[in-house]
Amino acid sequence: MSDALNELENILNITIPKDLVEGVVKVEKGHFDVISPSEKAYDLMKILHDDAGIYHLSTISAYEKDDSFNVCYHIQHRIEEEVKEIPINFIVTKIDKDNPKTPSMIDFFVAADYYERECYDFYGIYFNDHPFMERLILPEKWPDDVRPMKKEYSWEQIREITLNLAKQISEDD
Amino acid sequence: MAEDFRSRFRVLTDGSDTPLGADHHIFIGPQHPWAEEPAHFIIHLKGERVVEANIRIGFNLRGMEKAMEARTWRQNTMLIPRACGICSAVHQNVYVRLVERLAGIEDQVSERAKLIRMFSCEAERVHSHMLWYGILAHDAGFDTLFHVTWRDREIIMDIVEDISGNRVNPALMLIGGVKRDLPKEKADKARPMINDLIKQVEYHKKVFTEETSIVNRLENVGVLTKEDAKKVTPNGPTARGSGLPYDIRKTFPYELYDDIDWNVVYYTEGDVLATTLVRLDETLESLRMLNQILDRLETASGELLQRVKPRISEGKYMTRAEAPRGEDIHYGIANGTDKPERYKIRAPSLGNIDATLKRMDGEYIADMPVILRSYDPCFSCTNRVMIINQSTGEKKIMGQDEFARRAIKAKKYNRPFF
Repeated sequence: MSDALNELENILNITIPKDLVEGVVKVEKGHFDVISPSEKAYDLMKILHDDAGIYHLSTISAYEKDDSFNVCYHIQHRIEEEVKEIPINFIVTKIDKDNPKTPSMIDFFVAADYYERECYDFYGIYFNDHPFMERLILPEKWPDDVRPMKKEYSWEQIREITLNLAKQISEDD
Repeated sequence: MAEDFRSRFRVLTDGSDTPLGADHHIFIGPQHPWAEEPAHFIIHLKGERVVEANIRIGFNLRGMEKAMEARTWRQNTMLIPRACGICSAVHQNVYVRLVERLAGIEDQVSERAKLIRMFSCEAERVHSHMLWYGILAHDAGFDTLFHVTWRDREIIMDIVEDISGNRVNPALMLIGGVKRDLPKEKADKARPMINDLIKQVEYHKKVFTEETSIVNRLENVGVLTKEDAKKVTPNGPTARGSGLPYDIRKTFPYELYDDIDWNVVYYTEGDVLATTLVRLDETLESLRMLNQILDRLETASGELLQRVKPRISEGKYMTRAEAPRGEDIHYGIANGTDKPERYKIRAPSLGNIDATLKRMDGEYIADMPVILRSYDPCFSCTNRVMIINQSTGEKKIMGQDEFARRAIKAKKYNRPFF
């Protein structure tokens, strides 16, 4: 871990406090995973955004890991003189599955708005301090308790819910 | 940062809770003749100037990410190009590179296979950009140019059809290589067509830069400065029109893009004309790249397809590629079985919406069509077919299941499909 951490610190030209990171993995040349628990992720992202000057957020992917949720922020460190990008997968771990809450990164990236709302739609992960945590993609009449990307729902179940919804809407009309 | 963009964080579907000073509200969509695909734009006006704009999306969610978890890695190779109607090859390219990396065979893919993949991606960029600037001319009220560009676009469509068998969905790539070769006869046939097309695109560029009736519609319209662009994080040509010179083919090279000679195109003006010129110049770059790729294919050798085991060992990986519209990013997690644990797709248009809404601030309502078009909106495509009986004009919509059932029956009993 420490080798990868040192290399990342050299590239970003900052020092990352050891207590904020759970681990740094070098995926390949110039491509890193940074892992941080959800209660410390906001402070670490603040350092990456303010000190290292990372401004580009590509997307956010959420996924289930054992009995918790993980949220991965795909951010790019850009070096304009060399026209080079260092992709960093910023993985927020330890989000409780029963009460999924994690800090919102909208203070650093405007683009986080859509992507966080997408995660809220599909997994029910609530991003604290997001000013407008509302449905983005799912239909208006979709049942609130069904979070379709969770593993507990099979593909066939989701299909059945969708067909019932479509039938109900066409009857209402 | 959220304070600067508070406009979006409101429910605006019925025009209530309006921004300060707005006196008219215009709703575009979800179904509207301007757009081929469903999206809902809400535009608040004071007089004829835009105060604020908002968008609602999600009218065409097809649940691909969930569907992929129920299929094997190999089956998904043919599902993934359906993520987008017009840039299908680049989605497949990102996917196969991701799976190759997880399976540990990314070094074994031969040079020839990589070149054929690049040919497919670049040909797609050419036809996608030509489609876009044709429609832009149509939106700006210049229909002659629209017809001229679409006429010339048929040249590249013929090349794609010749090498892959399909016009817009070549689906040439497989995990471990490519499906079919690009033989010398076809390369020789394509070369003069590419050279013809270069001349035509140069002519299109001349029209876009010299014909005042279209330049006046695009110049200084919807300006997005570099500082704003850094905040709203656009990608692809939208960003390169605002002076952010990032193209993944250069910044994080994949396939053999660092091995051939080409330049990143970017402009610093930030208006709609700049994004148009980025795409025009990129089309020319891509066409020149196609010629280089054909030259290299004459000597390049190697197996077209490597053997891959159906089970992919545990791991996760993120890949990106430069799609015609911008940055296409996929994130895949494998769990040791033959099916993905999780697969995430982010197509470029979603990342460009913020930038487009920012462009609209303070502009005239009459400029909305070209500004909305500027980021090349692409929401998704269809998932069923409509069958029209030519003699009676009777229309029938057929779902996926019925279509498959009919196809199986027709094959089994050797009957015609209809």
